[in-house]
Amino acid sequence: MDDVLDEVVSSEDLQKFEKVYHEQLHQGRVTHKAQFEYAWCLVRSKYAADIRKGILLLKDLFNTHAEGKRDYLFYLAIGNARIKEYNKALHYVKAFLDIEPANQQVLVLERQINKRMEKEGLIGIAVAGGAVLAIGSLVGLGIALASKK
Amino acid sequence: MTSGPYNYSYIFKYIIIGDMGVGKSCLLHQFTEKKFMADCPHTIGVEFGTRIIEVAGQKIKLQIWDTAGQERFRAVTRSYYRGAAGALMVYDITRRSTYNHLSSWLTDTRNLTNPSTVIFLIGNKSDLDGQRDVTYEEAKQFADENGLMFVEASAKTGQNVEEAFLETAKKIYQSIQDGRLDLNAAESGVQHKPASPGRPLAAPPASRDNCAC
Repeated sequence: MDDVLDEVVSSEDLQKFEKVYHEQLHQGRVTHKAQFEYAWCLVRSKYAADIRKGILLLKDLFNTHAEGKRDYLFYLAIGNARIKEYNKALHYVKAFLDIEPANQQVLVLERQINKRMEKEGLIGIAVAGGAVLAIGSLVGLGIALASKK
Repeated sequence: MTSGPYNYSYIFKYIIIGDMGVGKSCLLHQFTEKKFMADCPHTIGVEFGTRIIEVAGQKIKLQIWDTAGQERFRAVTRSYYRGAAGALMVYDITRRSTYNHLSSWLTDTRNLTNPSTVIFLIGNKSDLDGQRDVTYEEAKQFADENGLMFVEASAKTGQNVEEAFLETAKKIYQSIQDGRLDLNAAESGVQHKPASPGRPLAAPPASRDNCAC
């Protein structure tokens, strides 16, 4: 565990805040607090489907509750980064930094997202490189076999 | 901040708690970066920092969770207490209300951590002595009565910041040595990395799989 993007919510916590949210939903009135707490847990889930659900709840909050906008932007960035939607994540980071350009917490998050993109980009190249090598050796093998005949 | 070889033998989990604006993030920043953040906005949710220190010749990695002081985050940040080996509880010596709320922070800490968790009380902003609203003596008495370690510190000048983080680690390490802290307990807040002291580990730590945080 080296940064906030690695952190995973416990299933116990997720269930606890899910229950509160669903109870309120059932009663027909969900508070911003309950929706945010549930969404905050969802974007830290290990399942992409949960994270996507958390993102939808945060977007809804962002549009309806002006007071908490900076919090919602921050967790929208985290959620998107965790499902590898890095460009979207950076979009939210940028929107945040437009308002608070010197915010260390968000600048650190930006660096972590860039680091991941870089790392996964390199892995992509390595995989492609490996495939080229594999194809190359197959071709080589084919030529060798063909020349034996 | 987290680069370098994995040459530590323990991981200790810390949390930093206390009212909004007492300087929790600034203390963390001073400890990990040795810099003072002059204009520190309110933390969103939790912030995370690490630093490798040395206690009794053992390298120890501190994983520090700095929680937001705003009430709106409190329900969820409570889950970060679980499995903390050290808790730094911070108030601002120039604002009495932040001191008056300590008993509520202490209750949360006692309820949500385990008996071996080391609680260290920090009276921050000691550089602002002229605006002091809480005396050293009364805070010391509060700490003694509740079995807490205590210093006054300044995230701005760096005074006593290292001491607070390091003394907490020493106390945790002592508990391990004395057998008061069970390394096998799921929520001890300590992970032991089985490597010979001073020798780098062959593989990176598998903290993602067995991290209790």
